[in-house]
Amino acid sequence: MRKKSILALVLAGCLTGLSLTGCSSKGNSSDVGNDSSNTPEGKTKLKAIIVKHSLTKDVTQMKWLAEIEEKANVEIEWQQISADWDQKKSALFASGEIPDLLFNATSNSDFVQFNGLFEDLGPLIEKDAPNIQKMFSEHPELKTLATQIDGKLYGTPRYKGIWPGSTASMFINKTWLDNLGLQVPTTWDELETVLLAFREGDPNQNGDKTDEIPMDFNPIGWDFTPKLLLGSLGLPLSNGASDGYFTEGAQVKNFYVDERFKTLMQFLQKLYSQNLISKEVVTQDYSKYQSVARGNGTTAKVGFTWGWETGDRFGNELKDQYVTLPQLKQHADSTNELYWSNDYYYQNYGSNAVSVSARSKNKEAAMRFIDGFYEPVVSLQVLFGGMNDTDKGIKDNGDGTYAILPPADASLDPGSWKWTNSFADNGPMYIADALKDKVTLGSDMQNVLKEKAVYDELLNKADEKSNVYPQNFMKYSTEDTNTLAMNQANVNNITDQKWANWLTTKVDIEKEWAAYVASVNSSGLEQNLQIRQKAYDEYLSTLK
Amino acid sequence: MKPAQTTVPHQTLRGNGWLRRQAGHYQLWLMVLPAVIYIAIFCYGPMYGIQLAFREFDFSKGLTGGEWAGFKYFEQYFNSPMFWPTLRNTFIIAFFSILLGFPMPILLALVVNSIRSNRRKRILQTTVYMPYFISTVVLVALLQIMLSPTTGLIDGFLKALHLIPADTNLIGDPGAFVPVYVISAIWQACGWNSIIFIAALSSVDAQQYDAARIDGANRWQTVWHVEIPAILPTIIILLIMNMGSILSVGFEKTFLMQNSLNKPVSEVISTYVFNVGVKSNQFSFGSAVGLFNTLINFTFLMLANALAKKTSKISLM
Repeated sequence: MRKKSILALVLAGCLTGLSLTGCSSKGNSSDVGNDSSNTPEGKTKLKAIIVKHSLTKDVTQMKWLAEIEEKANVEIEWQQISADWDQKKSALFASGEIPDLLFNATSNSDFVQFNGLFEDLGPLIEKDAPNIQKMFSEHPELKTLATQIDGKLYGTPRYKGIWPGSTASMFINKTWLDNLGLQVPTTWDELETVLLAFREGDPNQNGDKTDEIPMDFNPIGWDFTPKLLLGSLGLPLSNGASDGYFTEGAQVKNFYVDERFKTLMQFLQKLYSQNLISKEVVTQDYSKYQSVARGNGTTAKVGFTWGWETGDRFGNELKDQYVTLPQLKQHADSTNELYWSNDYYYQNYGSNAVSVSARSKNKEAAMRFIDGFYEPVVSLQVLFGGMNDTDKGIKDNGDGTYAILPPADASLDPGSWKWTNSFADNGPMYIADALKDKVTLGSDMQNVLKEKAVYDELLNKADEKSNVYPQNFMKYSTEDTNTLAMNQANVNNITDQKWANWLTTKVDIEKEWAAYVASVNSSGLEQNLQIRQKAYDEYLSTLK
Repeated sequence: MKPAQTTVPHQTLRGNGWLRRQAGHYQLWLMVLPAVIYIAIFCYGPMYGIQLAFREFDFSKGLTGGEWAGFKYFEQYFNSPMFWPTLRNTFIIAFFSILLGFPMPILLALVVNSIRSNRRKRILQTTVYMPYFISTVVLVALLQIMLSPTTGLIDGFLKALHLIPADTNLIGDPGAFVPVYVISAIWQACGWNSIIFIAALSSVDAQQYDAARIDGANRWQTVWHVEIPAILPTIIILLIMNMGSILSVGFEKTFLMQNSLNKPVSEVISTYVFNVGVKSNQFSFGSAVGLFNTLINFTFLMLANALAKKTSKISLM
């Protein structure tokens, strides 16, 4: 009895001791990740974190990756993250203890906020990275993209060049139109007539007149939304227009306070009040948005909507019912210049693919490893999966051409296979322009390019120097970064709720407009536009 | 029974007297030690971070290294257009949560206590406290499904009975947010919170019931004159403690239930701190707003405590 209680006391003491040392040991563990020890085979050991897609399999099972490690003579200990990185990273970065390499884990504002945590890669690239140097000489704008306001380069960029110039397409159910004897709409007015017919009739011919949803979309700030109809009114969107920013005639503007947005909201309000838009358009999440459009088996439920590609949006059963719709005119006699969102930079250029810890003791080895990703044929594997019998991502035709293989797992579509099998779009890569014509893309990408061809003419019209706003390329000082963030939180709070309120109620938008614009401007939008204009002017001056 | 130590002669209280006396209770101190360590590490330890609210956060210099900024971040919050909306929304949600959520467990405890059959009592108790173990994420997903305006089970039921207008969207409508929030919270936590009252009720002396019955009290009079006075101290202490967290409106549930439609009423202080402080890396601003929130909670706690002390002589301090 006595012995037992002593034992319990000792155990309790140990536990308390452990929990205390757990805290105090933090101070001297700063050399975590800086371990310069080598493996028995003489390889350099490095720690890396990768923020990957939730579908992506364990990266240590990718053979192409092991080949890069082998070539760079390093051994990587991977930490893999696929959810909630935004919330985790503040804590990790603030602790100051980060791994040697950070894949897809950093953003420009992190470099400003956590000044001194990341290594300036500029000198290292000049010394140890021939592939990245080659990329910079062929595409100098990538160097501009990666260089921060202090002239330093904390993250390497990525470049694809084979993705289409627009993120979203507009789809309409052609089978429904045929069943009702209707033409494909070309104006907003015709669209309204078509939607009314979708509601009134039974276009999917299942005997139920109430199960059709004439129109469905994402919340307005997202990718697949009616904001794209702003192009009907002569408003040039570009690069995702995140938070509503776009440029017109070299002026940075925000569509949330643009008269043309008012016109669009009035139109949408009219459609909603006639029960033509899904009741859940504001409240549904993305997975519900996806599943609704895939209908019940072979019965389609949605008539008119936006998405990336028909197979992805409607599933294999239904995709053939839908066609891509070119940009609509507002009225038959409208004279507005038509635009479609030019997302070429957004789709093909990325910043901060890899960063390196400033405390890493093996920066040369880290740079050797990073440079391995940027060898064009390796980059192709980063994007589509390995060129070997284990990864089964790409076939080398032996004559300098390559073919993207269909999924080895028959239950997956090509898109999902790509995301499962490799780093995909989240990896560091440089697909050289010289290689582009030598690659046969997978069926999904071929389909994407084919479907989006209807927008090519409008996209080519966008003026690079005045109507395209690549937000990624903009650089801000610490103070500006903080001001922008704080103002944006306040602005979003108004715009977010206002569009939803206008859409779903019958309030007079015309009457509320002036007060709304004034409140958004005074919440910080005006200041943000000034700061952004300054950065955009600087960017334009580099374009020549 | 008085502890024997009070009879110890006066002179031994000097010097190490107090310590020596406590040494006699070392088992008690040992038992409380883990709790003290826990609170010191996890509650008092992190409090040095409060100073962040008065500093310019500078990563390279650490939490305590930035320049002093005085009340800059507080002023920034008070002057921001989001100050009144977030404060008002937080108050409304907190107020209704306490107003409706606090009496429900007491009522439930009285009901459970009056059930004679032990088996039925157990079944009822288990049923009502099961929902407490559902995680917030799952609960909100449940709400989204049940209240969906097209396919929702509860939504369809309420509409079929014409209890709500046919064009109501329970998960989007700003007017529906607070009721949905409060009612689902009651459903989830009522059973669990009633446990403490049931425990208090079980300690009521059986003689009091007998006396009441002999005096001719019916069921209601027993509740009013015997049971409620018996658990009144518990009720008041819990009410004071709840007042202390009046503005700590649960971040998780509010954030998960938030969408563009209900944002006018669902943006509360905690979600605002998250949106600005954490997502946009404005740590100092976030700490300032958080600290302001804590100060209000503290004020309410002290007020409620003082009021209770004055009116009923029951209090925490």
